[in-house]
Amino acid sequence: MKKSSIFGIITIAVAIAIIICTYGSASTYGTFKDADNNSGELHIIGHIDKQKEMEYDATKDANYFSFYMRDTIGNERKVVYTGTKPEDFDRTDKIVLVGQMNKGEFHASHILMKCPSKYTQDKLEVKADTKKASI
Amino acid sequence: MTIDYQGEHLLPGHLGQFFIVLAFGSALFSAISYYFATTNTNKLDTSWLYMGRIGYFLNSVSVIGIGACLFYIIYSNLFEYHYAWEHSSRTLPVYYIISSFWEGQEGSFWLWGFWQAVLGNILIWRAKSWEKPVLTVIAVSQTLLASMLLGVEIFGSRIGSSPFILLRQAMDAPIFSRPEYLSYVKDGNGLNPLLQNYWMVIHPPTLFLGFASMIVPFAYAVAGLWQKRYKEWVQPAISYALFAVMVLGTGVIMGSLWAYESLNFGGYWAWDPVENAALIPWLTLIGAVHVMIVYKNTGHAYFTATFLTLISFVLVLYASFLTRSGILGETSVHAFTDLGMFWHLVVDVVVFAIIAATLLIIRFKEMPISKKEEDTYSREFWMFVGSVFLALSCLQLVVVTSIPVWNAIFKTNIAPPSNPVTLYNVFQAGFAVVVTLLTGVTQFLKYKKTDITRFFISTILYLVFAAVITGVIVYLTGVYKLKFVFILVMLGAIYSILVNGKVLADAFKGKIKLAGSAVAHIGFGLIMVGALISAGTSNVVSQNTSGMDYGADFDKANNSRENVMLYKNVPIKMGDYTVTYVGDSISAPNHYFKVDYKLLDGNGNIKEEFILKPNSQYNNKMGLVSSPDTKHYLFHDLYTHISMAPLNVMQAGMDLGHDQETNDDANYNAPIAHDMAVGDTIQYRDGYIILEKLNKDAHVQNIPVTANDVAVGADLKVVSHGITYQAEPVYMVKNGSVFDFARKIDDAGLKLRLTKIIPEKNKFEIMVYDQPEGKRPYIVMRAINFPFINFLWTGTLIMIIGFLLSIFRRNKELKTV
Repeated sequence: MKKSSIFGIITIAVAIAIIICTYGSASTYGTFKDADNNSGELHIIGHIDKQKEMEYDATKDANYFSFYMRDTIGNERKVVYTGTKPEDFDRTDKIVLVGQMNKGEFHASHILMKCPSKYTQDKLEVKADTKKASI
Repeated sequence: MTIDYQGEHLLPGHLGQFFIVLAFGSALFSAISYYFATTNTNKLDTSWLYMGRIGYFLNSVSVIGIGACLFYIIYSNLFEYHYAWEHSSRTLPVYYIISSFWEGQEGSFWLWGFWQAVLGNILIWRAKSWEKPVLTVIAVSQTLLASMLLGVEIFGSRIGSSPFILLRQAMDAPIFSRPEYLSYVKDGNGLNPLLQNYWMVIHPPTLFLGFASMIVPFAYAVAGLWQKRYKEWVQPAISYALFAVMVLGTGVIMGSLWAYESLNFGGYWAWDPVENAALIPWLTLIGAVHVMIVYKNTGHAYFTATFLTLISFVLVLYASFLTRSGILGETSVHAFTDLGMFWHLVVDVVVFAIIAATLLIIRFKEMPISKKEEDTYSREFWMFVGSVFLALSCLQLVVVTSIPVWNAIFKTNIAPPSNPVTLYNVFQAGFAVVVTLLTGVTQFLKYKKTDITRFFISTILYLVFAAVITGVIVYLTGVYKLKFVFILVMLGAIYSILVNGKVLADAFKGKIKLAGSAVAHIGFGLIMVGALISAGTSNVVSQNTSGMDYGADFDKANNSRENVMLYKNVPIKMGDYTVTYVGDSISAPNHYFKVDYKLLDGNGNIKEEFILKPNSQYNNKMGLVSSPDTKHYLFHDLYTHISMAPLNVMQAGMDLGHDQETNDDANYNAPIAHDMAVGDTIQYRDGYIILEKLNKDAHVQNIPVTANDVAVGADLKVVSHGITYQAEPVYMVKNGSVFDFARKIDDAGLKLRLTKIIPEKNKFEIMVYDQPEGKRPYIVMRAINFPFINFLWTGTLIMIIGFLLSIFRRNKELKTV
């Protein structure tokens, strides 16, 4: 067999391995319900419940942050994150959590929010209205 | 009904929009003219060529015109324009106006178009017989870029997004029904504080020069296939490809330097899709450069060279589709949101992909593909293998980064890997092992045929030598604790540095021609070494051991207790350092937190002391935004950033010096009264207080003391955590009434009052108000140690020098041939 054919086969094998590994390591999007029945890590998209208590008190523990999130189909769970409360958390509404369920609480290893530099939501409407009110 | 709006400056916008349309039209005209110039069989007819040139010059002038109008709008704070309102503000210094110019998508498209215009002009001047076909390709790309800025409605859908759109056109708000609306729009949104960094002034132009210059080798490859000048295109394309690789590589590293200096994620590389997008075409083009050299020297690997050159530019466009179309959605924190250009961007990719694919297919039979096999012990074979591995590493980046694209195409719902960084690291490290080893091994091989015994002796000799050095480095830096593949990368990198070091040494003895590649390889090896040690063994200095206990299994799941809280003036032991939050300094809008680091020796003497000033700024648009501060040593960096600061600290900082005599006892614990004589000492939680003497002649601001009044001050010395403060609470009898004036020591969290004088015992009652921990100023911070990070930066510099030397060398060859 020609050397180039052998190398070609190796190349294709590596390429297939890449694709299989990607598929194998890919996580899934789910809901809190899925997380209840699943021990692996999941991605959950949802909205922060701002009515409920957000707990972060650096004086007690600088690495404990908890809040409530409602997933896309309406389940709500307490979410615990080991770390500080992210800086623009109060301004965010929709977030993605990566993590797993632990005794009824969702332990997030990552909280994904849109980077503020690219989160270009036009806010003039609010501004303009308040300005009008003060005129 | 039309409203006659007041105060708007419409001229620069109209002019700019005119230039956009002109840029689009002239680029299209140029592309068509150049196309007919290329296909024209009458060699004496130069009219198409001149029309093509005129079109291109006109396009260049229009692009500059667009830039001038946009800059004028931002510079003059014309907030009736959406772009200026969105990205700039009155307080922005001039050098950051430049950054705000390309903060938005439109500005960065302009930057791309500008560089492409410059490159096109250089090619008109230099490309000679290649001008017609090469400029055809570039003018097509220039047309597509200009169309991204058009912002006109055609058949009910908007084509492109214009930077000259007015605020009232971009948004719907009731205020725009008022003719004088502009008088309410006082200021723009301003530039994101994270982008207010000098790297953001030069990183985008460099990166986009890199992207733009990738079209030149692509255009040469297309021209070569189109004009059936199969062999000739490679030679001139090598220099341009080297240039593109050098500039894009520099741009990428500048981006990571910016991330390291102003972002909070604690590092310089996070495998974010936006970062990957710039790396993807770089990897394929660096592969292309190597196989082009192989083809030039041996006639082998023609198809691979052509294919990699073509795919690199298609990947540039694909990368811009990924980051600009909004398809990445939740998977990237940095990608742009969709401006309604999704399909426009798709068309851009597809046009060039079709050009490349069609030419490859219809010309395949005629390509000069060598029938003879490469020799196993030849340099060309292993350079070819190395290039294929670079392409494979790129494939892995593309496949994983594009997960949202697969979801969109196949209607699936796969999430990205939950730990993408580890996945990328392991995979890319695997490819890096092969690539770095090959950059070494191939130096011992010759083109066509090599003496096998000599090859094996020198290869193995150097490998053993490299293994010994790797062993020492891995042991000393702690890299051995990482996955095995990372140790192999270290071996590969060290091997590459040693072998190329030898080549460089030989080069000084005479074969000076070879210096470029050797230097670039050494640089690449150093980058690998620096990245491995600094990212692999970076350790969080601020590892928190205090705090509530959440049970063992929680800690196991998340062991990232990386933040530490510091009360003001309370030192904390953190790794080898004693760290104290000593104060604030405000330079609006930045709030700097002064963090004092002390390194003590065994006897408690200070070996080293320095202050880091990480900052936070409260931004109306973005909320609280923090940037780190880093202490740079020759062999490591100490990186510190604020994770969180209570807002009251920020506010306290803001009105520093305004003493408010309001009753704030609620902020303190229940007071404790002490009867003290002069010279007495009392203990309190954080230290002790001494009553040094009494001041019979005390004064209180704004309150005159008459002969009938009594005012006594107690001179108190407070020592808290080794810091001494003075305070003088005052007791006053005025017009028969008793007052006392408390004194606060905010930094120590104390309020002191002299509440009673007990003459019979010659004692004084001092009330001590102690602030509960939560009310006292504090910060939460994280500190990370990055060892040997300077290898990464010096490696980059060396690699750039290597590229430059190679470009000079290839240009020289070009002239002699």
